[in-house]
Amino acid sequence: MGRGLAHLSDEALVALVARADEDAFAELYDRFGRVAYGLALRIVRDPALAEDAVQEGFLAVWRSAARFVAERAKASTWILTLIHRRAVDLVRREQPRRAEPLDSAPHESGHDTEEEAWLRLRRTRVQEALERLPDKQREALELAYYGGFTQSELADRLGEPLGTIKSRMFAGLASLRELLAEDDLEEERWREPRSTS
Amino acid sequence: MERTEIHELSAAYALDALDADEREAFEAHLARCAECRETVASFQQVAANLAYDVDAPEPPPTLRSRILDEAAAERPNVVSLPRRRWAFSVAATAAVAAGIAAVALAFWAADLSQRLDEVQAEQHRANEALVALIDPSASHVELEGADGVLVVDDESGEGTLVISGLERAPSEMTYEAWVIQGEQPMPAGLFSGGGNQTVVPLTEPVPEGAIVAVTVEPAGGVNRPTGQPIITSQQAA
Repeated sequence: MGRGLAHLSDEALVALVARADEDAFAELYDRFGRVAYGLALRIVRDPALAEDAVQEGFLAVWRSAARFVAERAKASTWILTLIHRRAVDLVRREQPRRAEPLDSAPHESGHDTEEEAWLRLRRTRVQEALERLPDKQREALELAYYGGFTQSELADRLGEPLGTIKSRMFAGLASLRELLAEDDLEEERWREPRSTS
Repeated sequence: MERTEIHELSAAYALDALDADEREAFEAHLARCAECRETVASFQQVAANLAYDVDAPEPPPTLRSRILDEAAAERPNVVSLPRRRWAFSVAATAAVAAGIAAVALAFWAADLSQRLDEVQAEQHRANEALVALIDPSASHVELEGADGVLVVDDESGEGTLVISGLERAPSEMTYEAWVIQGEQPMPAGLFSGGGNQTVVPLTEPVPEGAIVAVTVEPAGGVNRPTGQPIITSQQAA
């Protein structure tokens, strides 16, 4: 309270975290904790494991903030990449023989906060972009990113040569980049007044 | 592995779809390949968007406190250490007890302590500069003569030069920054350049309308610029 951190960019917060600023770290958690948990849960499909992934990911943020280079990446990308890596490593370690469907149960929300509205908008944009990809590219991206499968596992699972899988992932990300480039919402998020919960 | 083939792995890497060995091998490649680093950075940004296509239930509140507590307990890595006065007192005590040799030790310890403080101050300035650079409330002015910006905190007038790809100053020479308002250039700091990014926190405030300039001067700096500015910036009115 009283530090006025809410108006700072994500990147400025990371710079403060690099100086061991605990308030800035808490603010980063409040901005990304929910998305991070949702992502981890979709990948590991177990609440306790998801918590572990989020905890390890955020502690990696805390420990390595000094190495973050704002010129090279957005802080949001950096944080979500760290969370994703932890979740994927955990699911590979804990569930080497997983084969369940990857869809998660619909989430019921009792209340509709500003944050939820923003997350829903963001989600719709991503889903619309994904739907415009060729089916096979979308499938490869989703199984890799949400399923935590390696490219070799994907090749086995889909019965395709490894080279085909690599090309699909590359083409899929390249197309998605074009599709998302038009409306990058990320920039505006922190400039808007945020309700502190 | 063929060149195009390993380049293609940028996608699998950004999606975390490499196994541990493949990841390690690709990271070794990344260290040498600027093109792949760029592709990976761009793909990671795309992939991070996928993080938002998930149900995002509130995480349990206990998770927040656990993470914050754990971080606080680790007390990391860096800076914001208190000044280390103990080096003086320990050394001073030893000096009284052990005579001349210990006096020398005291000087050495004091010197060491001061240098440590300087290093910390340096680190602190660099961090301040980074915060200034990305603070949306600061003014940014493009530089002429070099690829970079002048960042000025609107409230305090604290200025920072951020210059990309500035060659290291010739030997026996230094870059010197100046804040010029009216006829009187004020020396605002020495720096040597080199490296990808040169960040120069100016030692003089930058008033509205002032010009910041950089000249090349003899090592140690001068009180008045002797050469023509190689870099200039005009504060927006």
